[in-house]
Amino acid sequence: MYEPDNRVNSEIEKLTQIYYREAYQHESFIRVSLRKKEHLVGCCLLLSCRLLNWPISMATISSLLDADPMVMGMLYIEMVKILNIEAPIVNITDVMEAHSHDYQISSLHAPEELSESHKDLTKRAVELVELSADTWIVTGRRPIPIMMAAIYLSWQSLKPNKHRLKLSLEKFCQLAKVNKHKPAIKRITEMKEMLCKLGQEIPWVREAVTPDNVVKHVEDILKHRHALLRRALRAQEDALLAERQASCEDLPIKEDADNHQLHGETLKSQDPEPNWGKRVLFAPPCVVQAKKSRVEQPELTDVTGDEEISDSEIDAYIRTPQEVREFALSQKMLE
Amino acid sequence: MYHCCAACIFNLKKSTHTPFGAMTPGMSIFSPMMPYGSGLTPQPVQNTNSLAILEEQQRQQQQQQAQQANAGLPGTSGQTPQLYHSQAVAGSTTTALPGNTPLYGTPLTPMTPVTPATPASESSGIVPQLQNIVSTVNLGCKLDLKTIALRARNAEYNPKRFAAVIMRIREPRTTALIFSSGKMVCTGAKSEEQSRLAARKYARVVQKLGFPAKFLDFKIQNMVGSCDVKFPIRLEGLVLTHQQFSSYEPELFPGLIYRMIKPRIVLLIFVSGKVVLTGAKVRAEIYEAFENIYPILKGFRKTT
Repeated sequence: MYEPDNRVNSEIEKLTQIYYREAYQHESFIRVSLRKKEHLVGCCLLLSCRLLNWPISMATISSLLDADPMVMGMLYIEMVKILNIEAPIVNITDVMEAHSHDYQISSLHAPEELSESHKDLTKRAVELVELSADTWIVTGRRPIPIMMAAIYLSWQSLKPNKHRLKLSLEKFCQLAKVNKHKPAIKRITEMKEMLCKLGQEIPWVREAVTPDNVVKHVEDILKHRHALLRRALRAQEDALLAERQASCEDLPIKEDADNHQLHGETLKSQDPEPNWGKRVLFAPPCVVQAKKSRVEQPELTDVTGDEEISDSEIDAYIRTPQEVREFALSQKMLE
Repeated sequence: MYHCCAACIFNLKKSTHTPFGAMTPGMSIFSPMMPYGSGLTPQPVQNTNSLAILEEQQRQQQQQQAQQANAGLPGTSGQTPQLYHSQAVAGSTTTALPGNTPLYGTPLTPMTPVTPATPASESSGIVPQLQNIVSTVNLGCKLDLKTIALRARNAEYNPKRFAAVIMRIREPRTTALIFSSGKMVCTGAKSEEQSRLAARKYARVVQKLGFPAKFLDFKIQNMVGSCDVKFPIRLEGLVLTHQQFSSYEPELFPGLIYRMIKPRIVLLIFVSGKVVLTGAKVRAEIYEAFENIYPILKGFRKTT
């Protein structure tokens, strides 16, 4: 069922068969379509792999079965609930090695200046993913675009020469013969931003670390990430403290200004509560770039549910006889 | 009876640790023996996230006024914290950074007028806000949906797509599904009272259209609430330590689905700290579920 180097062991095969037999005979699945039963095989395989610590993603199994990952996913959740099994989740760093093998970037497949050994690539990508996980880039996100972003940045940083730095993600995927995942571009941006925050703390780097030049510092950042995290945290704390002190000093002045303005309240005081994500060093991107929440409708307060309902209000929802005639006519015409 | 570990259960090594407190080194919190008390009400667990460890150590260093070490840089040696060791950090993981503690200056969501059984605001200080109420009522007579769709302004009816009239009113802003059997579903209200008022208005519309509609067996079927704990949550950690209640599949959905048993509520927990609670028949269940989950979430709180 797999290419030889992806073959699961016999223990997993046996367990898959056991679960499949159990699921197949269950009343929830006995009458489902043949296609769904094929998906069920994939679900049982995924479950067995997870229970026996064989790192494999749902996406991989779905692609092998040529199935929609969402459909398979929903079936998997249903099956796990019905069979009453607790399966651990797969750690993204465990899947990384298998995933990186998909990239045909070794010296056998790519020109010398662009090729990279899988071992080095995987090692660096795993470190990058671990750091991304620590800094809130991974939680809640789909793993494959993250892995793609990590592999791309790792590949660039292993030999940060002109050729590699110029190669876009799209070209890199073409070179490595993998399908590009669009969200990977956003993950790359997020990872670079995170790396810049740490890169800025490297004492021997004099230039400003920006997303354009951060790749060449990735090796140092990963090597000294603990210390850099510490320094960055401390710098953030100091900055916040300074900001607080400054705002405390400003307060009396601000009060005077407010007194002079009767209607001119500054926008700041009318702003909704400040985003906590912007006040910390690292936060989940969905918090930092929070979408504008829907404007709340004016709430009905003190409703008892037993209020008098006026006739006029209800009449507003009922068509006049003429409207009824016109509507009936229009329906007839549409038919 | 709650026990914090297998050792405690078997009355072994009592002196080496306090329940739910600092754990003996070497005992991984990911040990399968990690108990969950009665199994019904979730128990908080300590966090081992690397940034939390770093931050805790930093705070301790500051408190002790230790020299800030530039450890780990070339040419120096020093203590490098082990990022992925499973050793728990003693004590609570309260933050040192200002503005991150929900207890300070976070405006509470305004409470709608409720019965005296309000949630214990002394615990989390956060009140979930109700977002949606689903209720049903029996109008007690058969209905001709074609007539309703013809004569009501606010109705839509596509029998090929769905066998019910979809009706909407402006106040309370809600939607109703009206079936030919006379049964009706009302959705979108923000409180039980609003849902009842809305259902009554729909019944009045149906009455005015000439049907002998009554208002029988009104029942709240589902309540949905949401709130924001205002700190990020390590979903991977939560699913590991509360496996029997949790489902977290980032390939499918970004949130963690937590099925609480007591009360029987489903929570969607997101990395942003936003929580959605659903499945309640009464609002007290939503509040109770949140008060149960809050200490657990605090255990997975990371402030950087």
